[in-house]
Amino acid sequence: MASGAARAELSDQDVVACVLSGDVECYAVLVERYRKAFGRYATAVCGDADLAADAMQEAFIRAYDGLAGCREPERFGAWFFRILTNQCRNHRSRQRAHLPLETIRAVAPDRADDGVGAAETRMAIAAALESLAPEHREAFVLRHVDDRSYAEMAQLLGEREDTLRMRVHRARAVVRQRLEGML
Amino acid sequence: MTSDTWSEVAQRYLDGDGPPPADAAERERADRLKAALATYAAELVPPGAAVDRAVLEAVRARRTAPRGWWRWLVEPQRLAVRPAMAAAALIVILVAGAALAALLGPPDHPATGLRVAAAQDRTVLIRFELLAPDAHSVALAGSFNGWNESTTAFTRGAEAGVWTVTVALAPGEYQYLFVVDGRRWIPDPAAHAQVEDEFGQRNSLLVVGPRGVVRS
Repeated sequence: MASGAARAELSDQDVVACVLSGDVECYAVLVERYRKAFGRYATAVCGDADLAADAMQEAFIRAYDGLAGCREPERFGAWFFRILTNQCRNHRSRQRAHLPLETIRAVAPDRADDGVGAAETRMAIAAALESLAPEHREAFVLRHVDDRSYAEMAQLLGEREDTLRMRVHRARAVVRQRLEGML
Repeated sequence: MTSDTWSEVAQRYLDGDGPPPADAAERERADRLKAALATYAAELVPPGAAVDRAVLEAVRARRTAPRGWWRWLVEPQRLAVRPAMAAAALIVILVAGAALAALLGPPDHPATGLRVAAAQDRTVLIRFELLAPDAHSVALAGSFNGWNESTTAFTRGAEAGVWTVTVALAPGEYQYLFVVDGRRWIPDPAAHAQVEDEFGQRNSLLVVGPRGVVRS
C-alpha cells in the first residue's frame, strides 16, 4: 500500500477499500480526516470537549466495525457523520444523567485578555445550545459553528434543505431570546 | 415584527441567502450574533490527535480478534432495551410458553407453576380407600382441605372393612393423612412417598395430573 503521505491523498472510497482488504493502518487516514472535519461540530453538539473526544472515539470504532456495511464508501464522511451524531446524543444523555447542567461547558477557559462581556456571551451561547432540541442544535451548529451551506448540511444529515432551514430558524430564535441584552 | 424575533429578511441574511436588513438596528443585531458565534466557534476545543491513537490501538486489537458473527457470539454485548418493548416481549414469551405447554400436554410432575396454572381449570376425581375393619369413623385431612378432619369423611363401603371417599382435586401436589376414629392420624400405607412436614410428622404424598393420580 502507499506511504503515509500518499495515503492522505487517497479518496474515501480507496481508503475504505484499503481497510477492508486488511490494512488496518489505512484507517488512520479516515480518522484524522474526519476528526478534523467534524471536531468542532462534536464539541459544540456534545457541549464538552472531553465528551466530544469520547463520542468521536467510539464513533470511529463503531464505523470500523461496520465498515463492510458502508454501501457508498465514496460518501464515508456522511455515513460517519450520522454515527458521530448518534454517539454525541448518547454521550450527552449519559453525561446529563451524572452531571448537573451547569458543569457542562463547551467553551475553552477564558483568555487573560478576554472581556467579561465576551465570556458571558460565550456562556450564553453554550447555554442556548443546551436548551435546543437535538435536531435543532445539530442543524444550528453545522450552519453557524461549522459554517456549512444548506446543501452540505442536507448531504450530511440526509434531510431536505427546507427542513434544515426551518430548524436553523427556530434555533436562531431561541438563541436570540437567550442572548437578549447581549446583541 | 416583534423585538424578540428575527424578521424574514434577517433570517435570510443570517442564512447567507440575502442582503442585510434595511432596519439598522436589526442589521446590527444580526451582525453581532454572527460575530458572537464566530468567536464561540473559534474558541471551541475539538478532539485532538489522542483520539486517532486510541482508535488505531482499538482497531489493531480487533485485527487479531475473531471477527464477524463469531466475535459477536464470544464477546460481551451491550443491549439497549426499551422497557415497554421488553414487557411486551415478556408477555409474548409467557403466552407462547403457556400455549406450548397446553399443546404438549401435562408434565408427569407439574414442574413449573406456569404449567400447573394452565391446567388449573381441570379437576380430577380421586377415590381414597382404607381397609379399617375395626374403625368407627375415618376422615381424610390434607393440604387440600386445610388439614380439617371434619370436612371429608369416609363412608363404609360395600366390601367389609373398606372405607371410601371421593374428592375433586385440581392437578398439583398434596400431602394428606387418614384420621381414624377422630384421634389417630395415620399415613396412607399405599402412598408412593411419605414426606416430613415442618413439625417432623410424616405425611403421605399425592401427585395429581390432569388425567388422574400420577403418584400416590
